[in-house]
This record gives sequence, C-alpha cells and structure tokens, in this order.
Amino acid sequence: MTESKSTEHGDRAQNAERGERSRRFVSRPKFCQFCSDKNLVIDYKNVELMSRYINETGKIRPRRQTGACAKHQREIAKAVKNARHIALLPFEGDFWADNN
Amino acid sequence: MHNYELIFILQADLDEASLNTAVENVETLIKNNGGEIAKIDRWGKRKLAYPINKVNEGYYVLVDFNYHPDEVAGLKRTLGYNEQVLRHIVVRKA
Repeated sequence: MTESKSTEHGDRAQNAERGERSRRFVSRPKFCQFCSDKNLVIDYKNVELMSRYINETGKIRPRRQTGACAKHQREIAKAVKNARHIALLPFEGDFWADNN
Repeated sequence: MHNYELIFILQADLDEASLNTAVENVETLIKNNGGEIAKIDRWGKRKLAYPINKVNEGYYVLVDFNYHPDEVAGLKRTLGYNEQVLRHIVVRKA
C-alpha cells in the first residue's frame, strides 16, 4: 500500500516537472533545410519527404514549425498540393494510421 | 519544346493486358503529337491516400517527355476523357 502511494506521488512530481519544462521557451537556431542542403530537392513525388511537411490532420505545417525560408516554404506548399492531387498525400485525416 | 513530367493513375483492378494497352495508348498519343518520351517508370500498384471513385488502390505510371507547350492542354483533355485514368498530373520540369 505504502509503496503504491509513493510511486503515485513520484508520477505526479514528474508530471509537474514535465509541465514546467514544456511551458519554458527553448530557442533553437532556425535554418532552412533546403538552403543549407542544396542536394535536397523539393519533389512532390517524394512521399517520405513531403509527409514531413504536413501535420496529423493533413494540413501544411507553418513556417514557424518547418523552419523553411519564404521561397522554399512556397515550393513546399505547391509540392504538397500536387502530391495531394495524385493521392500521394491526404487532404485531411491521419495518413499514417491508415497505412499501418 | 519543354521537358514535362506526367503521372497518371490507372484503375488497379484492370488486368495486365489492358494496363499495358492503356500505357501504350498514352505513349502513342504523346508521340503522335510530336513528343519525345525520355522515360516511362511504372510504380505499379499503390495504396491511395484517400479513395478516388470509391477505389482505394491505383496503378501509378510516371512518364518523362519532351513536348510542345501548346499541345499539353490537348493531352490533359484526352486523359480526362479516359475512364481508366483516375487522376493525372502534368508538371513542367525546370
């Protein structure tokens, strides 16, 4: 009994810690993936690459998340739209849950 | 003349022979209008990210070709009339 109580308490303490950590803003250096790596080409046929730029609901991820520069974000958006049209990416919904 | 890239999705439930003829038809269509085909890549059967016409699978074919810009609209129209083609996309390559 006493043991279970102590673990419960431990979990709560951990959760509190985690909560605090998530609230704190951690600044990371932002860089455009496609500017720094010239070999990486934005291609609507590359499903693995393009799926990194949509979120779980199928929306195009914003620039503050992708870190892409304006020029490359435009290209990403275009490529995602092309990929959606030929059913490589979903318009909505969880694409990964479906495939598994 | 410019370099283009065409991807079209055929119905996956077609048999081997009709798939081949469908691909050949597109091939001859491009050639008859003065195009040059550089590459045909058959991706084969793939699961679609969402159902099209209540179908969950499609047979993907990628064609790289050299074509006159004025003829592209006609090519798209012809593909649109073809009922075996679920979707198509023509992209000009840089």
